[in-house]
Amino acid sequence: MDAVRAFMRHPSGMAGLLMLIAVLIVAISAPFVFPESPWEMIGAPFTPPGEDGMWLGGDTLGRDVAAGIAHGARVSLMIGIASALAAVVIGVLVGAVSGYFGGKTDMVLMRLTELFQTVPAFILAILLVAIFNPSLTTIILTIGAVSWPQVARLTRAEFLRLRSREFVEASLCQGESTARIVLGHILPNAMSPILVVGSLTVATAILLESALSFMGLGDPNLMSWGFMIGAGRTVIRTAWWVSVFPGVAILITVLAINLFGEGLSDTLNPRVSRRRA
Amino acid sequence: MSAAMETPVLSVEGLSIALPKGGDRPYAVEDVSFAIGRNQVVCLVGESGSGKSMIAHAILSLLPKGVTVQAGAARVGGQDVTRLTGRELRRLRGGDAAMIFQEPLSSLNPLKRVGRQIEETILVHQNPAPSAAEVAARVQELLIQVGLPNPPVLANSYPFELSGGQRQRVMIAMAMANRPALLVADEPTTALDVTTQRQILHLIDDLRRDRGMGVLMITHDFGVVADIADHVVVMQHGRVVEQGPVEDILRNPQADYTRQLIDAVPQANVAGAQDRRQAPPQLVVEGLRKTFLVKRGWLQPPRRVVAADGVSLTLHEGETLAVVGESGSGKSTLGRMIMRLTEPDDGAIRLNGQDLRQLKGEALRQARRGLQIIFQDPFASLDPRQKVGDAIARGPMAYGTPRAQAMDQARALLARVGLTKTAADRYPHEFSGGQRQRICIARALALSPKVLIADEAVSALDVSIQAQVLELLAELRREMQLAMIFITHDLRIAAEIADRVIVMQKGRIVEEGPTRALFENPREAYTRELLNAIPGRRFFGFAADQGVAL
Repeated sequence: MDAVRAFMRHPSGMAGLLMLIAVLIVAISAPFVFPESPWEMIGAPFTPPGEDGMWLGGDTLGRDVAAGIAHGARVSLMIGIASALAAVVIGVLVGAVSGYFGGKTDMVLMRLTELFQTVPAFILAILLVAIFNPSLTTIILTIGAVSWPQVARLTRAEFLRLRSREFVEASLCQGESTARIVLGHILPNAMSPILVVGSLTVATAILLESALSFMGLGDPNLMSWGFMIGAGRTVIRTAWWVSVFPGVAILITVLAINLFGEGLSDTLNPRVSRRRA
Repeated sequence: MSAAMETPVLSVEGLSIALPKGGDRPYAVEDVSFAIGRNQVVCLVGESGSGKSMIAHAILSLLPKGVTVQAGAARVGGQDVTRLTGRELRRLRGGDAAMIFQEPLSSLNPLKRVGRQIEETILVHQNPAPSAAEVAARVQELLIQVGLPNPPVLANSYPFELSGGQRQRVMIAMAMANRPALLVADEPTTALDVTTQRQILHLIDDLRRDRGMGVLMITHDFGVVADIADHVVVMQHGRVVEQGPVEDILRNPQADYTRQLIDAVPQANVAGAQDRRQAPPQLVVEGLRKTFLVKRGWLQPPRRVVAADGVSLTLHEGETLAVVGESGSGKSTLGRMIMRLTEPDDGAIRLNGQDLRQLKGEALRQARRGLQIIFQDPFASLDPRQKVGDAIARGPMAYGTPRAQAMDQARALLARVGLTKTAADRYPHEFSGGQRQRICIARALALSPKVLIADEAVSALDVSIQAQVLELLAELRREMQLAMIFITHDLRIAAEIADRVIVMQKGRIVEEGPTRALFENPREAYTRELLNAIPGRRFFGFAADQGVAL
């Protein structure tokens, strides 16, 4: 509860949270505010913002940009959160095993992690999506697969630090099982930095998904911000609104998550926040 | 003290330091006054939280953010430090007044060679800057003065390559670099072991005599006070309780609090030692060996540190065995090997005849029950996210006791170690160091062990708290028929609690014997050296002074 109260007093963290809530509301209300499919061509192509009942304008085929952004918010947030979750699950598993058992296990797992880190994440993501036909599941798994290494590194470092702490040794002496020591003592104490990195991973995942969709590698059945920018990029000089508004949506969402993550980091790691005070 | 007639080196006048709002008290220190003359050592004594460190920090204007000097002055050579800023303040720090801290490792820059760090202190304060050769010569001279071996090599070393005592000597060399009139030493020997402590105190005393420096020494140990102080200021809750010449305060304390602090100093009186060597053996350690390999670089061979070189010992039922030695003697490793937290290279550990080293998995887990440990640092040995009651109940639960019963036991144990039963539902951060150590004791006892290992279990505590925790341990030992291995660097504590003492040096047992015999009649030179190093001997003395030349 202390952490919650401290977070409430963190100005930029709270700003991020409020922005994030706004994006969430847009995503949730999309089917009610824009009941028709965002793919529906409801007006003339290149309708400027505010005309014809489309207050963010229409795109090259006369689809409502506002509807696209609202429906795209659902896709972006879902992919962002789900793939960050996938990254955290893989990363924590690898990092925990590596950090707790050490030795050869650690060697093998860390070389594997490095292998993933040396290949540029985006190129790897393109490759994976191209191999396994783009769909919601494959995109989530792909983004998860390229984002876990940093979570694994962090978890390993935390586990290394904590496993030699005296309270962990004390629980070992008390006859507690390995599973209980890891899940009951080490993981809860390692959780705050993992939470922070996890929340920031959501932001990078959204950017990755947008970039994939921009290149036409998104799920073809889902309206997404990246796809909208990609579709509008050729007409940016004549119809700027087609790509600028989805771009602003990405900017706001990613900024909100970053602010939120930083606020979380400051409140969960008091040593850092004290330096700022 | 004829020195009092001249301008004092330091005079603190009615100093009050305000804490930020929302603290546990409005002032860190209130209306504190004292003075230090040339060639005088003043000791500021008090328990943690008494505000003594705040005064030291105020004198060099190093108060943390949000903490401000509310009233009064701290004058160094007549100049009020609390009003200084910028250039004048920098000239004072490391120039007229220098400070050394408790933890020498964190006060040195880990990435710079120590010689270079001392040079910087000189260059910052000398105007015009002396030539490089002059500075280098001065650094060598300082390193010799603080008694460091082989100065040219040492100046080229990094802090991590030095021992704790050597680091503190480097800190002192840095402090001495510009011939300060005042040296502020904030618990300079607390992190060091007894023999090093004695050497450092001697060094500070010698340098003070040579240069006529004033020294403000901050400590919680009246043993140190008795050894070095001319004048004593006793503090409690931010106020001065009593001050005066050292002899008056020690022999004839006026305030109850002072008397309590003096009484709490372990006197190295061999108290309840009994010979229990007739009792059947409980724990037998045979020929334990352990060598640590420390990697140094890609091309250099690893450094070999021998922590145990064929250590054998027998602990009898109900016996308390103290293992004493300097840091690096391998005494903590011995305790950790017995607990199987560190894997020995060779040897056997037999608990009730069963060799723990042959056991694995579930059998080891079952055998561990009879063997528990209390660690040194009460802040690191409790899980910050686990309620105290859970921490204690978890052990019995792991061996199949139902939760409700284990929790009842935990509450009863908490009451037994002197805490309230409601403590079970609180988190560790709500407790003080001494209380946490009591919780650790309760946790260790929850499994009703036969053997308890206490690894420097009271070293991190204030002297007065130390005495209480020791007393508790002694009671519990009688009640529960515990055999105990008490690992400590403090011989005073060993004398008070142990039946038998083992002296370790460089991974070997150099002397072993019943407590009284060992204290009255030490056979080995090393043991005598340790006994000599006990702080406060001049005043407190102890039962057996014969054979020990001071």
